[in-house]
Amino acid sequence: MTTQTKPPPQSSSALDLPVRRFTVAEYYAMAEAGILTEDDRVELIDGVIVEMSPVGSRHVGCVNLYTRWLSQLVGDRAILQVQGSIHLDDDTEPQPDLALLRDRPDFYSSSHAEPSDALLLIEVADSSVGYDRHEKLPRYARAGVPEVWITVLPERIIEAYTEPVAGRYTRNRIYVPGDTISPSALPDIELVVSDILPE
Amino acid sequence: MTTQTKPPPLSSSALDLPVRRFTPAEFLALAEVGILTSSDRVELLEGVIIEMAPIGDPHAGTVDIYTEMLPSRVDRRALLRVQGPLALDELSRLYPDLMLLRRREDYYRLSPPTPEDVLLLIEVADSSVEYDRNEKLSRYANAGIPEVWITVLPERIIEVHTEPSGGRYTHTRIFAPGDTITPGCFPDIALPVGEILPG
Repeated sequence: MTTQTKPPPQSSSALDLPVRRFTVAEYYAMAEAGILTEDDRVELIDGVIVEMSPVGSRHVGCVNLYTRWLSQLVGDRAILQVQGSIHLDDDTEPQPDLALLRDRPDFYSSSHAEPSDALLLIEVADSSVGYDRHEKLPRYARAGVPEVWITVLPERIIEAYTEPVAGRYTRNRIYVPGDTISPSALPDIELVVSDILPE
Repeated sequence: MTTQTKPPPLSSSALDLPVRRFTPAEFLALAEVGILTSSDRVELLEGVIIEMAPIGDPHAGTVDIYTEMLPSRVDRRALLRVQGPLALDELSRLYPDLMLLRRREDYYRLSPPTPEDVLLLIEVADSSVEYDRNEKLSRYANAGIPEVWITVLPERIIEVHTEPSGGRYTHTRIFAPGDTITPGCFPDIALPVGEILPG
């Protein structure tokens, strides 16, 4: 028998361990079984159920502005989906704030939109800008979503990301009040940035 | 409008995000509705479902040796629980390899043992030794479990950790074949290490 005095290393977080990840099918089974409820504001990212930050009124207002302007400008040329899910792959299903989707007769009632259905995804970021830029954006790029706008409320800018190649967007433009911004898929539509981001 | 070329930094893992944690009740419900199945070797650590390493033959056999050796010596002074749950805290359900528990009339059928019920906790580790040493040990110490043995198969030793204080065990002794080992809770018992770790 020997005696040692070296203290054991302190543990960090349970999340450093191999966590059990879930598929989209298991994720929905949890909702059906009532384990996840309406009170859960969650999305599935790489098999991990992630809690979304609470939506403040400024965030809601911006989503409402997008909804008004986009629905008027886009009309029936695309489907505007507000805070609905996008099925990126078997273990990732985020809920972007807004999505312009290819027109589909069932309005996506039989299955969630997939990346190939997405013309444009829009995120509105208040405190969540790091999450949107560093976690969601690369996953959208990897899935081949052609265009993503991140609306940064504190900075009053819209970052437009396009041309996904090898898991990242190779083009990134920043729009400020005074500019107009157009989705690449519908280039004749012009949104006035200051309408989306009023003082 | 400005153009910038700096790519967004790529994310690391989804676990940098605020994950949805599960309560022990939800953890059990996942099994009841069949999302977690018997092929899932998982435990709940701080609300996170962790995958446990598969049990190899040396690990299983060593648990069997303990299981054969302990009851005759402990007699009816404690309950031996083998790979059963421990409610380490309100958000954890761990499955230590073996535990000597205070006797309770219901055999813990009505509620799982908590740290105050544990007299001795034994882990058998082969590939999982770092997990046991780094992650579990400090949590056992935090919970006030008085004595933990980590049986390290590759090194043929038993580490005996006692005197938890400030989130760690302040006393560690190492036993090898040739030694006998005595749990603090039953000083009359002497287990020959060579029988637990035969060559």
